[in-house]
Amino acid sequence: MRRALHIIAAIIIVILVVGLYKAKSDASKARAHVHALERQIADTQADMRALRAEIARLESPEHIAELAAQHTALQPGRAGQALPERAIDTALPPPQMRRASP
Amino acid sequence: MKPAGPLNFVTEEEIAAPPRFEAAPARNGVRFLAIAIFIVLLLLAGRAVQLAFAGDPLAEPRHQPGVAVTQRADLVDRNGVLLATTVRAYILTATPSRVWDAHATAQALLRLFPELDAAQLERRLSDKDHDVVYLRRGLSPDERARVLALGLGGLGFTPEDKRDYPQGTLAAAALGFTNVDLEPMAGVEYGLNRVIREAGAHGSPVRLSLDVRLQYVVESELARAALAAHAGGGDAILLDARSGETLAMASWPSFDPNAFASSPEDARRDRVAGDVHELGSTIKPFTLAMALDDHKTTPDERFDLMQPFLVDGQAITDYEDIRGMSGLREILAYSSNRGAARLALRVGAQRQQYYLDRLGLFAPSSLETGRRQPAIAPAVRSLRDVAGRGFGYGLAATPAALAGAYTVFANNGQRVSLTLLARAPGDPVERTPVFSPQTARIILDDMRATVMQGTGKAADIPGLEIAGKTGTAEKLGDDRTSYEEGRNFSSFAAVFPASDPRYVMLLSLDDVGQGGAGGMTAAPAVGRIAERIAPMLGLRVTRAAR
Repeated sequence: MRRALHIIAAIIIVILVVGLYKAKSDASKARAHVHALERQIADTQADMRALRAEIARLESPEHIAELAAQHTALQPGRAGQALPERAIDTALPPPQMRRASP
Repeated sequence: MKPAGPLNFVTEEEIAAPPRFEAAPARNGVRFLAIAIFIVLLLLAGRAVQLAFAGDPLAEPRHQPGVAVTQRADLVDRNGVLLATTVRAYILTATPSRVWDAHATAQALLRLFPELDAAQLERRLSDKDHDVVYLRRGLSPDERARVLALGLGGLGFTPEDKRDYPQGTLAAAALGFTNVDLEPMAGVEYGLNRVIREAGAHGSPVRLSLDVRLQYVVESELARAALAAHAGGGDAILLDARSGETLAMASWPSFDPNAFASSPEDARRDRVAGDVHELGSTIKPFTLAMALDDHKTTPDERFDLMQPFLVDGQAITDYEDIRGMSGLREILAYSSNRGAARLALRVGAQRQQYYLDRLGLFAPSSLETGRRQPAIAPAVRSLRDVAGRGFGYGLAATPAALAGAYTVFANNGQRVSLTLLARAPGDPVERTPVFSPQTARIILDDMRATVMQGTGKAADIPGLEIAGKTGTAEKLGDDRTSYEEGRNFSSFAAVFPASDPRYVMLLSLDDVGQGGAGGMTAAPAVGRIAERIAPMLGLRVTRAAR
C-alpha cells in the first residue's frame, strides 16, 4: 500500500514538474512574441517618423519655392493683391451670360 | 560396475541456466539506460528549477546597442509642421577577421562615403585585434541599402537613433542640434532639453511658437539684406508682442543642423540671444519715454538742437543738423543724439539704470536657447556715460533683449517675457510694468512719425502702419578703446500696426561698412518682410498705394 502511494506521489510530482515546465516555456514564448511585436512596433514607428520627416522636407517653403521657380511661372501673391470681400464686386469683371452649347 | 575415475555430476537446473560470463553485457546495458534516463531527468529538473526561480533568460528583451532608451520628442512649429524628429540610423561596422580584402573593401566604401579617411579606414578593416570596429555612424536606410548592395563580406550594421531636421537650414540657429549621441549642443535642443525628454517619454511633440512660413520670409529677406550690405552677420526676430511668443528668429549666415560638423562655427552661432552689441539709436525711444514718465519733459517742449552740446567737455554731435525748434517727435524721427543726451541727463544715472533694468536690457533674454548672454554694462562713472547710454552707447545687449524691451509699446507700457514655446489662449503671460500707457502711446506715435517722415521711411508699407526706430552704432575697434567709423552695427526695430500694436520685429546687420546706416540697410528689409508676411498675420496692405 505504502509503495503504491509512493509511486502515485512520484507520478504527481513528475506531472507537476512537467506542467510547470510547459507553463513557463509557454510564458517565455509568449513574452518573446510580445517583445518581437514591440520591436516590430518600434520599427514601424521609426519608419513613420522617417516618412513624416520626408514629407516635411518635401513641403518645406524653401523646397516648394525651388520647385515653383523650376517648373512654373508662379510666385507668392503680393500682399496688395489680396482683396476684402466687399471689394470683389468692384475689382472683378461682372459675370457674363453665355449661350449654352447644344 | 564403478566408474574408472572421479566424475562431476550436474543437476538439470544447472544445465538449463546459461553460463555466468554471458549474462554481464545485458545487465550493463540496462544500467547505462537507467543512468541516461536519470541524467535526462536531472537536466529536466534543473531546467524546471531554473525556469521556476530565474525565468527564461532567452525571453528577456535584448536592448539594441546604439538605440537611445529615452526618446527625444519631435519639435513642431505652432501649426504642427515638423521641425525636428528622431529617425532610425545605422552604424556601419566591420568584423576584420571576416573581411577578405581590406584594401578593396575600403576603396568600395570610399566611393559611397568619400569623406572617410582612406588610410584610417583600411587600418581599421585590417585590425584583427578587435572583433568589431566602427567605420561610420549615422547611415540612413538608403545608405545602408547601398552598402548592402556592394555585397562585401565582414560588414555589418548596428541600429542607432539620429536627430533629423527636415527643414534644413530653416530656423537652424533657433533649433540648434544634438551630437551623434543625441546630447543637446545648442539652440532649443539645449535650452528645452528637459522638456523635450519629458515629452518624448510621453510620446508627445513639443510645440514651438515659431511659424515656418514667417521664418522662411524673415530668413530670405535677412540674407538678401546682409548680402546687399556686405554685412559680416545678421539677425532678425519677429514677436507676437502681446503673448511674448517668438514667431520667427533667424541668424545669418545659417547652417544645416543635419551636417553641423561641416559648417563653420561662426555660422552655427545663435546671434539673436547669444551676441551682444552696443545698440545705437534704437534705444532712444526708451530715453524719451523715461524723461516723459519722470516728468522731465512734456510732449510740447521744444529744443534747439542746433546748439552745440558739451558733456564733460566733449561735444555731442548729430549725424545731420536738425534746424529749427524741435520736439520729442523730431528728436526721434531724425535720431538726434543731442536731444537724447539732454533728456538722459535730466533723467539721471540712477533712474536710467532703473528703467533699463525694468526693460530687461541687462539680463539674458528669457528665450529657451543654448546661448543666452547677459548685457555688458560697464559702471556709469560720468555724465558722459549717462548721456552715451541715452543714445545707445555704453551698454551692449542682445537683439533678443532689445526686441523684448520694445514689447512695452504693444502692451501699454508693460514688458512681456519672451518665449519660444507656443502658448495656449489663456496661458499666463509674465509682464513687467515699465512706463505708463500714456507715455507708451506718445512714443509709439513718435516712432510712427519716424517711419512716415524720418530716418525709417524705407520701412513704410501703406496700410501696415509700421512704427519704428533706426539704429546705427559704430563698432569698437580691435583695440577695444576707440570706435571705427567704417564698421557699423545697423538695425531697425519696428512695432506694427501702430493703431493696434501687436507685432515687434527687429532686424540687425553686423559689421556693415560706412554709409550702411540702419535706415538704409535694415529698414527696407523690415518693410519687405512686413509686406510679405502681412497676409499670414491677417493684416492688409493698402492696395491703392502699392
